[in-house]
Amino acid sequence: MALRIPIAISKGIIRFLTKHPRQVIYVLIGVTVIASYMVNISLSFEPSPLAQKVYDKVDSLKPGDHVLLSFDYDPSSEAELQPMALAMLRHCFKKGVIPVVMTHWISGLDLHKMACQEAAADANSHYNKKIVSGRDYVFLGNRPGWQQLILQMNENIRAAFDKDFFDQPTEGMKALEGVTSLKDFELIVNLAAGATVEMWIAYGSDKVDVPFAAGTTAVSAPDLYPWIQSRQLIGFLGGLRGAADYEVMLKYPGRGIRGMPAQSATHVLIVLLILGANVHMFAGRFFGKKKE
Amino acid sequence: MILKRTIPLLIVFAIGVLAFVQEFVPHPWSGKLVDEISTWFKIIGGFAMFLGTYSLLHMHLARIRRKMPSWGYSVFVFIGAAFMIGTGVYNEIQSSSQPAGPNSPFDWFSWGYKYIQVPAGATIFSILAFFMASAAFRTFRARNLAAGLLLISAIIVMLGRVPISEPLSRWLFFGNSQAITQATDIIMEYPNMVAKRGILLGIALGTISQSIRILLGVERSYMGGGD
Repeated sequence: MALRIPIAISKGIIRFLTKHPRQVIYVLIGVTVIASYMVNISLSFEPSPLAQKVYDKVDSLKPGDHVLLSFDYDPSSEAELQPMALAMLRHCFKKGVIPVVMTHWISGLDLHKMACQEAAADANSHYNKKIVSGRDYVFLGNRPGWQQLILQMNENIRAAFDKDFFDQPTEGMKALEGVTSLKDFELIVNLAAGATVEMWIAYGSDKVDVPFAAGTTAVSAPDLYPWIQSRQLIGFLGGLRGAADYEVMLKYPGRGIRGMPAQSATHVLIVLLILGANVHMFAGRFFGKKKE
Repeated sequence: MILKRTIPLLIVFAIGVLAFVQEFVPHPWSGKLVDEISTWFKIIGGFAMFLGTYSLLHMHLARIRRKMPSWGYSVFVFIGAAFMIGTGVYNEIQSSSQPAGPNSPFDWFSWGYKYIQVPAGATIFSILAFFMASAAFRTFRARNLAAGLLLISAIIVMLGRVPISEPLSRWLFFGNSQAITQATDIIMEYPNMVAKRGILLGIALGTISQSIRILLGVERSYMGGGD
């Protein structure tokens, strides 16, 4: 008698879920994400070994060394890649390494400019360093050409970018002292929402023999494993978790770490939904056979 | 015939062979050639951007003229384009009269980008989470052994990629907080990589054969005309 009400409620939920699965899932995902951001949960975790390799490489650089950061993404993947860009720029500024930022994606230009400015302002408040464009970093902006642009950078970076994004001539720029082509960089990093990682490997890092690291959206991360095994990629950051890993190592919490509870809760919810659907399927088979 | 087919084919063959050969020539002239070709490429890229914009606006104008289904959305393309092009051109005129710098004052172009394009782009991408959750719920069923293995791998990877895996793993595997993460790494580094490598090699071989077909004039669809 006491069990009749809960059984009736669960039957009602299952009936509603099987009738309108899509709508129920959408509401559950929405509520889970919003609730995770509203409730202040802190999750401790160990950074992945591949993210650790990227961090260690940047950390091993000396002040005045140059890192080429190619930010090839636009607003659609901003949620995953902008926290990575910020974390890497902050790390460079902290170490005194000079980041040279460029993009193949014209639609992301302002986003990358914002990343440079935000990280520069953070370095001022957090590390007490005054970061100046043209001296401590360069934002080269965009030029068309894709792989052809990389090939030109292999020969002469100033021919590829005669001016930076702010219309300052790259000839005689303090931040580019000692840099004539790609081979003068200590590290090349590509944060990519598309297929630019392969392009950078084929036309850039492999040709000039400069270490190469990447950061991609979570869905593209599995594509990068063959490059790790062939040692054409020293490591990579995968999705928002990659950004969170970098923030943990840098000890500078940002949007990556803040997003982890929401991502964890959503993944657990999806796993529970999948398991629930399978239990329902097997139960249906079992009881269906029994009736027969 | 000569102008439309033979000369373009000869240009493609000559440039293709030149680009291939210069890879193996360490002479400074080889580098200068790449530099020169890259500059041409950038100029053509600029025209392509103009052509793309024209093509987009032309298509949406046709949709509005013919009152095609959902033509109202096309109006927003023009509103957005007019706003961004207008503010962008205004910024360029302003910046020519004053020195540009990273700390430039407020402008409507950046405002539109930051408060309209960035949230709109992020919103479209975030919808993917809802679709993926719904698709996973409907498709991941252990109907046979292969589907069962896929289901188990998916669950391990989904959990192993988020921090919740550590307390969960500690609870499930007698204090070993890295068990699920290690299982995820094994799945990614072996079965996943094998499949990805196969795909990559297939793509590379396809690209090589297609390039040879283009260089030799067997593949001509890039010239248009349907052959």
